[in-house]
Amino acid sequence: MAYALQQLINGLTLGAVYGLIAIGYTMVYGIIGMINFAHGDIFMVSAFIAVTAFTLLAAFDITSLPLAITAVLIVAIFFTSAYGWAVERMAYRPLRGSTRLAPLISAIGMSIFLQNMVQLTQGARVKPIPPVIEGGIVLWTTPDFTVQIAWTQILIILVTVVLMVAFTWLITQTSFGRQQRACEQDSTMTALLGINVDRTISLTFMLGAALAAVAGVMVTVYYGVVDFYIGFVAGIKAFTAAVLGGIGSLPGAMLGGLLIGLIESFWAAYLSAEYKDVATFAILILVLMFRPSGLLGRPEVEKV
Amino acid sequence: MKKTLIATAFLALGAQINLAHADLTVAIAGPMTGQYASAGDQIRRGAEMAIADINAKGGVLGQKLKLEVGDDACDPKQAVSVANTMVNKKIVFMHGHWCSSSTIPASEVYQEADIPMATVSTNPQVTERGLKNVFRIMGRDDQQGLVAGEYLADKFKGKKIAVVDDKSAYGKGLADEMAKALNGKGVKPTLRESITAGEKDYSGLVTKLKQAGVEVLAYGGYHTEVALILRQAQQAGLKLTVMGGDTMTNSELVTAAGASADNVMFTFSPDPRKNPDAAPVVKRFRDAKVEPEGYVMYAYAAMQLFEQAATQAKSTKFADLEKAMRGGSFKTVIGDMNFDAKGDQKKPGFVVYQWKGGQYDYAAK
Amino acid sequence: MSAVIVARHARTPTERFKDAAWVAFVALLLGIPMVGMTTVDQGGALVVTTRFGVLAAFVAASFAGRFAFRWVMDQYRTRRDAKSTTVKVDRTAKVVQVLGWGILGVALFLPAMYSDNRYVVDTATTVLIYVMLGWGLNVVVGLAGLLDLGYVAFYAVGAYTYALLFTHFGWTFWEALPAAGAMAATFGILLGYPILRLRGDYLAIVTLGFGEIIRVILVNWTELSNGPNGIGSIPRPTLFGLPFERNPAEGEQSFATFFGLEFSGMHRIIFLYYLILVLALLTNLFVSRLRKLPVGRAWEALREDEIACKAMGMNVTNVKLSAFAIGAMLGGFAGVFFAARQGFISPESFTFSESAIILAIVVLGGMGSQMGVVLAALVLVLLPELGRNFAEYRMLLFGTAMVLIMVWKPSGLLSSREPTIRLAKASAMGGQK
Repeated sequence: MAYALQQLINGLTLGAVYGLIAIGYTMVYGIIGMINFAHGDIFMVSAFIAVTAFTLLAAFDITSLPLAITAVLIVAIFFTSAYGWAVERMAYRPLRGSTRLAPLISAIGMSIFLQNMVQLTQGARVKPIPPVIEGGIVLWTTPDFTVQIAWTQILIILVTVVLMVAFTWLITQTSFGRQQRACEQDSTMTALLGINVDRTISLTFMLGAALAAVAGVMVTVYYGVVDFYIGFVAGIKAFTAAVLGGIGSLPGAMLGGLLIGLIESFWAAYLSAEYKDVATFAILILVLMFRPSGLLGRPEVEKV
Repeated sequence: MKKTLIATAFLALGAQINLAHADLTVAIAGPMTGQYASAGDQIRRGAEMAIADINAKGGVLGQKLKLEVGDDACDPKQAVSVANTMVNKKIVFMHGHWCSSSTIPASEVYQEADIPMATVSTNPQVTERGLKNVFRIMGRDDQQGLVAGEYLADKFKGKKIAVVDDKSAYGKGLADEMAKALNGKGVKPTLRESITAGEKDYSGLVTKLKQAGVEVLAYGGYHTEVALILRQAQQAGLKLTVMGGDTMTNSELVTAAGASADNVMFTFSPDPRKNPDAAPVVKRFRDAKVEPEGYVMYAYAAMQLFEQAATQAKSTKFADLEKAMRGGSFKTVIGDMNFDAKGDQKKPGFVVYQWKGGQYDYAAK
Repeated sequence: MSAVIVARHARTPTERFKDAAWVAFVALLLGIPMVGMTTVDQGGALVVTTRFGVLAAFVAASFAGRFAFRWVMDQYRTRRDAKSTTVKVDRTAKVVQVLGWGILGVALFLPAMYSDNRYVVDTATTVLIYVMLGWGLNVVVGLAGLLDLGYVAFYAVGAYTYALLFTHFGWTFWEALPAAGAMAATFGILLGYPILRLRGDYLAIVTLGFGEIIRVILVNWTELSNGPNGIGSIPRPTLFGLPFERNPAEGEQSFATFFGLEFSGMHRIIFLYYLILVLALLTNLFVSRLRKLPVGRAWEALREDEIACKAMGMNVTNVKLSAFAIGAMLGGFAGVFFAARQGFISPESFTFSESAIILAIVVLGGMGSQMGVVLAALVLVLLPELGRNFAEYRMLLFGTAMVLIMVWKPSGLLSSREPTIRLAKASAMGGQK
């Protein structure tokens, strides 16, 4: 029981990270209907920025923890959004209005580019930072097992919940959210109504990148090790999460992320860790067989 | 127009080959890009230094050495492509490849072209296929696993041991051998698990180890994952001792795992940095701001092997070189090298090391 | 491009300068964390080092590059506008045909031109494997319009089928080829069946998942596949029973002894090259015939409008499954050849990035265009090879090139496609749609 609880905590933390990245996928998909394969690498770039920022702070002897984390978050979000904007401007905007697959390939190219760019400029070695937050709370002690939740795990789950609420509010309540949803439904009509569609799409990419930046900082704090290859695995997992939850749906992405985190944790905990990924994809296929648009996705209306 | 373009492309490919060869060309190959690029980097630095040193002394048989670098990214298909490039560049000696899964297919290409190779790949299959051109300057997984497993069985009697691998050819081979050695000594591992390399979250595994009361982790795989496991174990309040293979020599382990790296032990050939004969070379590396760790010295030694074999044979023809390498004894920065009939080291001599305060040293006997 | 019509006027130098300055500013923003700073490991802890000189150079290069690019583009545009009055006759089809025969001619004589250069012949063989894979995937993506991100699974099934049939039952290449094709086709149907209802990107992720499932099983099911160690010593194909070996088995002849030639490794390389050339040409013939059959037309109809197909009473299930099965079968054939050429296969050869490259070949080539696949395969295989001179910049250039080609030709290198069938005369119903 205690063991299961511990695995639940592990799964939730992992799921929260997947969810944060998945929201970026889902927002981009919703607005221009493309799978942004470079999104995982944007996340990787942000993790590297976080490492540099943490190291700089340590060099300036800034030890106040909340201050340090806030500063790193701001720096990472700022620069990563710039990357999100630039990637969209260079690789996707010229392809607007062409076939559905063109931006997909361009995104794969962008992903290869970003990975190798980081490898060249930052080096192929892993980048570790010393533990930023140590320790945790002991939740429950049984004779043979102690359930612990680390402060970093609490931080990740808290940040995710806060961002989730903030983004839901942003999309449903603000004028930017309305513009964004309008573009999703019919970009030509939205343009005719005097809304700058290009600008809205750019902003969406920046917001997606900002979320990836938060995930990048969280991962840097939690795992403490970053390398130029982390974007690939995280990207595929987050993409799966987005589809499982129903691509285009914000709560769906979060739900998908959490589900995948939990499936991975519990499968590895009670069955064999080897076939963990098989289990994840098999469940995805099963869900899609019965709900072809994911768990919370709206069924596509087919027009003739 | 496009046709000419393509023809030009092919001509360009051909033109590379027709360059004049006044020098002797030797080559290294390994993952210069991709996930394991840091190992490729070590190999390149070691080989470059060795070539510079050899050329400063007048080269081999009066000819200067020229180094070619092949990038296979640890992809077997690219490895074959690299091998073919190297054959065309008329290389006389190859140090590589690094990943066993690249070395195996590439070695067949070198065999057909009569090019001797010295590799650090540890998978037994590398030398088990009866290829005459393959020499291994590192021990084999089965030898390495045996040393590690027996050490664990002796030193950690009565403790619960888990055997985990990362599903790579290297990691699984090593872990299997460690488990075999443990079983041979009558110790039954508490857990036998696999993880996926390249992920970041191993908290599931750590929790499982904690639940099973495991204190010692026998791990087959690369240092990156060990660092993450140790860090996450510390967060979960689990104290782990890790036993790994030669990849744990990488100092990235310490930077990434911090103080808990002190619990990492591994098997490796006797440390070349402790070899008094190698001291001047070690110093030259450190002066050049390269820490001679991991595969750096191996690459250096591989080039020395070629230099000495060619000098002894007074030729760089395959038959002569092969005979010299198989029969001779070579003094290199990683110690004396002798090869058996298969091309393996006669005395691989694995030693158990332990990390301590950012340096590794022989573990308590 | 956007529907807004922009009145073009010659750009003033100030405008150009502003534009380039903006790009330089963005370059500065992107450059600060990546180019301008890096962390270096010093005695177990990271230290930030700055490279502001490199950063300045990067920003300056961006500025100059953008300035020059705009200027060239403007020149080009002005000239094109001036020319636009002349009516352009579309000769693409003719050019493609000539190009096709030209490439075929080069392909046929290539080994003769480079008979002592194994690298060129071997690289050409790799190109042809990708051409064959591209043509196979083209059936699924280009013709039937089903996005498949896990095509590598069938490639793997083919390769492993041959490897296993040989190790357990001693089957030769020629015996295993049809069996592996059938096996891959079966897997194609197996994958196709549960996901018939899915559309577009949902299909993409499921096929991606399928590819990963196959790979993970190959890695873990050690008893079957020998796990990560892979399967080695896979025999090379023979020419009517004549092996390409230095020392043929007792009482048998090898290719070299039979023809009284001195043994050379090149014989086999050249033989393998012609073998894949023949396989690829057969694939091309097969697919272009299929396109003229009802099933081929049904694929293309499905791609254009699934609902209309249903309304016309077509059995959409069978059409989709046949596309999956035939695409998979061709992938399986390529897999058998790959296993035979490499002599060693392991799960590392069948990762997602392989699927991505094959898909990129189909899309870059221009979906559905057979000739486009050839061009794209040439580009995508030769680029990283030519890039070997750039050492560690190789893959960076590759990624950049992929983006640039896509931006330059969004619908592929050869996008204009010949209609599969034409009506003899314009029908009374008028134009399309």
